[in-house]
Amino acid sequence: MSIVTVQLGQCGNQIGFEVFDTLFSDSHSSQGLCSKRENEAYRASCKERFFNEEENGVPIARAVLVDMEPKVINQTLSKAAQSGRWKYGQHAYFCQKQGSGNNWAYGYSVHGPRHEESIMNLIQKEVEKCDSLSGFFIIMSMAGGTGSGIGAFVTQNLQDQYAHSLKMNQIIWPYGTGEVIVQNYNSILTLSHLYRSSDALLVHENDAVHKICAKLMNIKQISFSDINQVLAHQLGSVFQPVYCAEGSFHYRRNPLGDLMENLVPHPEFKMLGVRNIPQMSENSLAYSTFTWAGLLKHLRQMLISHAKMEEGIDWQVRPPLSGLPPLGKMPLNKELHFNTSIANLVILRGKDVQSADLEGFKDPALYTSWLHPIHALNVWKTQRAFSKYEKSASLVSNSQFLVKPLDMIVGKAWNMFASKAYLHQYTKFGIEEEDFLDSFTLLEQVVASYYNL
Amino acid sequence: MGRRRRLVDPAAEAGAGALPKVIAALSRSLPAGPSPEIFRRAKFDRPEAAPALWQLLFRLLSPRSADGASASLALEAQVCLVKSALRSQGYPRLVLAQLPEDGSRGSRELLLALSWLLARGPLPEQLLAQAHVQLGDEIPVCECEALASPGPRVPHVEAEGPVDIRCVQWLMGRLRFRWRCLIASQQEQCTLLSKIHLYTRGCHSDQRLGHLSVAETEMLRDPEGGQQLLRRLERENTGLEAALEWRRGELVFWRWMDTVLGACPPEAPAAATQPTFLPRIAERGLGRLELAARELRALQEELCEATGRRRAAWEARVGGQGRGPQWSSARQALQKAVEQELAALRWAWEQDRGPARPHGPHRLVRCEDEAPGGQHLRAAEVIQALRSQEACLEAALRRLQGQCRQELARLAGALPGLIWILPPRC
Repeated sequence: MSIVTVQLGQCGNQIGFEVFDTLFSDSHSSQGLCSKRENEAYRASCKERFFNEEENGVPIARAVLVDMEPKVINQTLSKAAQSGRWKYGQHAYFCQKQGSGNNWAYGYSVHGPRHEESIMNLIQKEVEKCDSLSGFFIIMSMAGGTGSGIGAFVTQNLQDQYAHSLKMNQIIWPYGTGEVIVQNYNSILTLSHLYRSSDALLVHENDAVHKICAKLMNIKQISFSDINQVLAHQLGSVFQPVYCAEGSFHYRRNPLGDLMENLVPHPEFKMLGVRNIPQMSENSLAYSTFTWAGLLKHLRQMLISHAKMEEGIDWQVRPPLSGLPPLGKMPLNKELHFNTSIANLVILRGKDVQSADLEGFKDPALYTSWLHPIHALNVWKTQRAFSKYEKSASLVSNSQFLVKPLDMIVGKAWNMFASKAYLHQYTKFGIEEEDFLDSFTLLEQVVASYYNL
Repeated sequence: MGRRRRLVDPAAEAGAGALPKVIAALSRSLPAGPSPEIFRRAKFDRPEAAPALWQLLFRLLSPRSADGASASLALEAQVCLVKSALRSQGYPRLVLAQLPEDGSRGSRELLLALSWLLARGPLPEQLLAQAHVQLGDEIPVCECEALASPGPRVPHVEAEGPVDIRCVQWLMGRLRFRWRCLIASQQEQCTLLSKIHLYTRGCHSDQRLGHLSVAETEMLRDPEGGQQLLRRLERENTGLEAALEWRRGELVFWRWMDTVLGACPPEAPAAATQPTFLPRIAERGLGRLELAARELRALQEELCEATGRRRAAWEARVGGQGRGPQWSSARQALQKAVEQELAALRWAWEQDRGPARPHGPHRLVRCEDEAPGGQHLRAAEVIQALRSQEACLEAALRRLQGQCRQELARLAGALPGLIWILPPRC
């Protein structure tokens, strides 16, 4: 089944390109550590999902590119075409001449409705090219004006027009010390709107990925391209084909559906975080070996101690003893040391994957009381290695990862709102104080629900 | 126990070998049919014939969908099922219920039960129709079949202690996702069907169909699969021929069954006064029937009241007028007008209900030209019928949701000072 990607704004388009590039390179890699036949099946499955077949053989990404200025889209299109290995559809993009000045309201209330028909037509064309549609993958930032405002609008339209299809929004969480003054307003408006119309919100924090680049990849001058590549690696490790079941040799047909069914069926808990281990620069890769036991031990500790990467993990954090409530259960105590999970999906790729032991993840103490690890933990294993990593483990987690950052953003936005700062920029374009209040209410509820796990 | 009576057919009486032939034909037309030797031993109530007959009855009485799983059921379980199935269908003889659970005895009684089932309806033909090999792409156009066979019974599990509502919400959400994935799969199936029908245009030998179905395409693509299909068709043919042979000679069987019945000891006198078992309506079903009856009665009372009030009001307005001779023609004209209106209403109601709703599975065929009506069913008509059904159901859902909301609002209003924040819409 195919996934149609919608790339929104500068952020969305740049990341989208890296994602497709990673997926393509990996599926054509010769270091899959598996038989030729299996490699071909892997490639075919990846292609069906993300690319379209063309007569002259160059695969076309199943994507629609949207931005209000032409610069980034043109760059993206040409970068893809230049590689000669894959490309974007010739007419699969929509752009205008002017930006939207980081104004969420302008993106949502003006750009969105004005260009609704053109954008939805493009998406419809892409959908028609699929034999079967698994769902939509929408890449956008949360804090900018174009990506976030239009992203919220487009997701809402997808909800109306394709009510039965699945929708996952890939959201880029802005830097804590971001440059956009109103980024917190934009963030809460985006999140609250997406919470109502999307099925899953997969969040990547700029701060976290930046640290990965600095500490793990040893990059001195970190550019957006580096960050996006790390991000694409994490996403690729989640979305590349996986086997249906232990011992099966068929790849899952609807990974989006399986992922969502296992992680986000509850309407109040839709926020997902991704952790991937190991992550390192290509140079170091050749000199490192890993064991599944070591990788999984680190991954588990990353999960329970809110760590974003495998360096600097706080090993002091332990799961609470059974019978005692976990730390942070009291809503007033916002110091969460231990991360309680609702549900986790662990994806293992590489050599000897059958021998990997996941007992550590089946501990009920890791999870909330109302969901047993049998239902809360899902494991997908595939022999085929990903992107030159002999062994790699990914964790997609619906847990308290994002509660503190969310709480902080809501708090900051509320402070601004209480003093009515910059509100006129929004009310000018139809976003009233009522809408802000609704957003605050919804997000406070989400925060409270996650704290009370 | 009734059975059909026909004019004596001299040909059927011919030859001592006629009975085993007829019984063999009957066996071939039924699934898991035992040999004629089993039947003969059953007449003399031999215990070794019992298990085969229990198994035959089980196959005949268990629901169609349970075929794969049921074969592995132990004999005791099969015996239980057969007994309860026969009882719920109204089998009159009590001896059957008293047979031992291990299936070791009672072959003569089982033979009588089998012939009771055969006498009630065209059993071999029904079973053959159910197991019919489908060559075309069959699409159901109504929900009757899905509603009639609710699937395997799920064991009723009691929750231990209070259940966190979040867990229930979680499970509901999973169900919804599965539902959406199912819809996506169905859409995929439709796309692929459409492609196959398009690409194989002109390949079918039958001009009316014009293109191949999936089964036919698979047959061409995979010769081994084609062989299997051929074997299934041959088995079906054998069954059909056996059923024909059975029908031609069944009188011989019934005459023989008379002798079997005669060989039975007379039933205990108490049995005669026992009423036949009626099928048990499930508790819940009974409750619903009562509820429906109450609602209908209440509705009827309401209507009576309303018409009574209207009549009284009209009488009050009209007073004593309308009784003289000059009114009779006017009254007649009025009556005629009213009758016409009623007839028009009825006709409109009939039309509104639409043509008879399509039923059962139909073969999906892609056609270019406007085929003449008749037994063909147009996809557009089916879609329309389903859409109107959907609209009715959605209206009912909205009504129920509105009632729920009113109830919630009433409850919320009962607690002043409390603000209710609804969870995010799913």
